[in-house]
Amino acid sequence: MKRIVVEKKILEKNDDIANSIRNLLDKNHIFSLNVMSSPGAGKTTLIERIVEALKPEYKIAAIDGDLDTQRDAQRIAALGIEAVQINTSGTCHLDSSMVQKALNDISLDLDLLIIENVGNLVCPASFYLGTHKNAVLISTPEGDDKVKKYPTMFNVADVVLINKMDIAQFVNFNVEKVENEIKELNPNAIIFKISAIKNEGLSEFINWIKKNIELLKHQ
Amino acid sequence: MHEGAIAQSVVEVLRDIKDQNGLLSITSATLKIGAISGVVVDALLFAFEAIQKEEDFIKDTKLNIIYVNVKARCSICGKTFEFDNTDDLVMICPDCQMPLAIINGKELEIVDVEGQ
Repeated sequence: MKRIVVEKKILEKNDDIANSIRNLLDKNHIFSLNVMSSPGAGKTTLIERIVEALKPEYKIAAIDGDLDTQRDAQRIAALGIEAVQINTSGTCHLDSSMVQKALNDISLDLDLLIIENVGNLVCPASFYLGTHKNAVLISTPEGDDKVKKYPTMFNVADVVLINKMDIAQFVNFNVEKVENEIKELNPNAIIFKISAIKNEGLSEFINWIKKNIELLKHQ
Repeated sequence: MHEGAIAQSVVEVLRDIKDQNGLLSITSATLKIGAISGVVVDALLFAFEAIQKEEDFIKDTKLNIIYVNVKARCSICGKTFEFDNTDDLVMICPDCQMPLAIINGKELEIVDVEGQ
């Protein structure tokens, strides 16, 4: 019998690939955003709004993760940017090797790369993809009790967007409670209250993206 | 349930260790799982058991789990706080009102392995 001290990260291979993605993005001065939420929270609509707002100034591409169909990538591509769909065929999250493969199909002459993760508030939080920032979306019809139920996800968020604010009053969503719970769990997260579908409240978030693009451009 | 993918990664690390050390089988492995690693221990054990049936070298591997609570430190006063329950997580120092930095609780590690 032999005892071997290992002290290795279980997801070391994923992290190694993610770090090489990060190096590639940094080298090319591409700011990258990993967008995560439960299904139906409004990730694709949010990304459409980001693209509409920033396309006149910046070169953008998107990677869309879903279990099946090309629907999300088609919606984003319809706005005239490059969009690659990853079908995970059953896997509930994107991992770094999937993103690395998708990046082979994208021209790196870019300012912004948006990754739309698989709709899921649990699994994507454990897999680092090499992106600069994590944006987590929560929508009002999901209920105002979600933050403490999914501590890992809200803990990895750099930005939390509370979406579908236009219908908050009809679904008894206590926005103050949600904001307080986010601040308790992750005081560094920046919170934006938006309605992606109505294009309301997005300008501050768009400015935050712009600021990050410019920072990386001049590095 | 991403514990299937995590269990698969555990098996891959164990396979590397077996090959690098000239082992035939792994008898036990100790894992550290943090309370906010996003991994549910029971689901991980369940997924590992399913893979065990297909891989001879881990057929009899016993997984020992060290569950790590969330621990965080205030960068101003240096006080550390441990949370037994993730429901109670408050990442703000009660004295300084500043964000706490997490020092434990995100672990997803293989600590040691026994084999023959």
